[in-house]
Amino acid sequence: MDTSTNNAKSPITSRTLVVWFVVMAAATVVVGMACGVLGRIEVPLDEKLFDSPIWRLRVVRLSAAALVGVGLAAAGLALQGLLRNPLAEPYILGVSSGAGIGVLLGPSLGVVLHLAPWATTPVLAMVGALITAAVVYGIAQRRGRLDPYVLLLAGVIVNVFNGAVIMALMHFLKPDEIFKFVGWGMGQIPDWLWSQPSLIWICGGMIVAGWFVLFLRSAAMNMLSLGDDVASTSGVGVHRLRVETFVVVALMTSASVALAGPIGFVGLIVPHICRLLLGPDHRRLAIVAGFGGAMFLMLADTLCRLMSAWFQFGELPVGVITALAGGPFFIVLLRRRAKEGLG
Amino acid sequence: MSDASAILRATEVHFAYRAGTEVLRGVSLSASRGKFLCLLGPNGSGKTTLLKLLLGVLRPGSGTIALEEKSLESYSAKELARKLAYVPQTPTSALNFPVRELVLMGRYAHTGAMGLPSETDLKIARLAMEMTESTDAADRTLEELSGGQAQCAMIARALAQQPGVCLLDEPTSHLDIRNQLKIYRMMRRLAHDWNMAVVCVSHDINLAGRFADELMLMKRGIVVAAGGPDDVIREELLRETYDVEIELIPTDEGPPVLRAH
Repeated sequence: MDTSTNNAKSPITSRTLVVWFVVMAAATVVVGMACGVLGRIEVPLDEKLFDSPIWRLRVVRLSAAALVGVGLAAAGLALQGLLRNPLAEPYILGVSSGAGIGVLLGPSLGVVLHLAPWATTPVLAMVGALITAAVVYGIAQRRGRLDPYVLLLAGVIVNVFNGAVIMALMHFLKPDEIFKFVGWGMGQIPDWLWSQPSLIWICGGMIVAGWFVLFLRSAAMNMLSLGDDVASTSGVGVHRLRVETFVVVALMTSASVALAGPIGFVGLIVPHICRLLLGPDHRRLAIVAGFGGAMFLMLADTLCRLMSAWFQFGELPVGVITALAGGPFFIVLLRRRAKEGLG
Repeated sequence: MSDASAILRATEVHFAYRAGTEVLRGVSLSASRGKFLCLLGPNGSGKTTLLKLLLGVLRPGSGTIALEEKSLESYSAKELARKLAYVPQTPTSALNFPVRELVLMGRYAHTGAMGLPSETDLKIARLAMEMTESTDAADRTLEELSGGQAQCAMIARALAQQPGVCLLDEPTSHLDIRNQLKIYRMMRRLAHDWNMAVVCVSHDINLAGRFADELMLMKRGIVVAAGGPDDVIREELLRETYDVEIELIPTDEGPPVLRAH
């Protein structure tokens, strides 16, 4: 890994981090613009572009994809660091499906409380995600230590359980709503988002705020890789860091799920590729993986749009693509990890 | 072993992981600046548990642990890290950080939340690497180093904290004889030349006797003997503590060498 050794030569300074931020932000904008231009309907490539309604629709959808990508990738990175387990990810640990239950219940609670769905949905998603995270963590930990296998198994089981609850809840939906939620249940950036700007603002705000908090914790996250005892005797409040990060991750996941359903494996693939290219330092990774997630999901979502145009069929949910890519990715990591000895 | 110069002092400490089975039963210890103290004792005697209590990772059931006359619990994590550092038995999972970054991570308690180093931090990290002869390994990761080099890097990381007390948990258990000597010499230098209080859990009575200033022998959660090497390395005492036949062979310099049958 030449890159990581090169980067190792000089220590990370605030300048390094600013440069990475600017470069990645610029790259994200460029990728976003490129994705916005592509599609079944052509948009004018001149000054009239910004007035084109198609362009505006695409920008809304791409913004949502970018925000969800940031949320999932940053949350995945944090979970992997926190649990010292490269297989940890919000979807695999069941946090996403917990948020999904909340999202399904959101509109009903809105009706009961006479509130708009954009107000109730993120709150219920948050509750679902937090409860699921607490349950999975509670199952896997014994005296503050986490067994990585038990953690993954707990995630699998809780996922199955949540999936059943989601299926049961869907029975209470009207037929047209069921169709909407089938795609969503697989993870999809929905077209109706443009009519819900408040939802985008609220969820996007939560994601960006969470990302910033995780970035501020990234040096402590580095320390955690030295083991709990060394970290705590080096000045890290380990228990507090764990709890805070879990809550932030649950919030970011719930915001992502409220926007686009439980999209899997983004939090696995993106941080891993970044780590492979840039080495283990979480301060740099928090920036790069966040933007990387944004670009990854914008590209994946655009691929869904383009495939629907090429092959003349309905749009695949983007979660299908990420799962098709992420499943094998997970197996490879699991095999490698099993060879090295998990734990 | 209770003198006024003690920087870290445990008094009548009791501890149990599970109610009913005490691992430590009234242990007292004091570590002073400029002194290298080794904790000896058979497996299960409570040495590592005592070390974790001294680190503040575990809390005593009863009794007190004081650092500079203040209870450990009254320090914040960062305050404590500026006074006390820990070297684990084996380098842990941060295997892919280059040594330079690893040592800088020792500065966490001195830097801002983002751990961005100042000139002073870089200088101290450099000194810590020189002291432990890890400068050549600066660009390599722990994974790429031999066990001995890796342990030196972990000690450098601890030194970067600029602690008054350095606690080590069997730092030589996976090392060859040459590296064992190197680490024991290093610990002695930290005490004598750098005026630290060095506390090390050890299974090597010969090395401990040769390099440490003070020894403390434990068995089943109590202190069997404490004092200079001559007070602790005694045939009858070791035989009873370790429950094996032991013969002490006198040497020209230093304490006698032990042979177990």
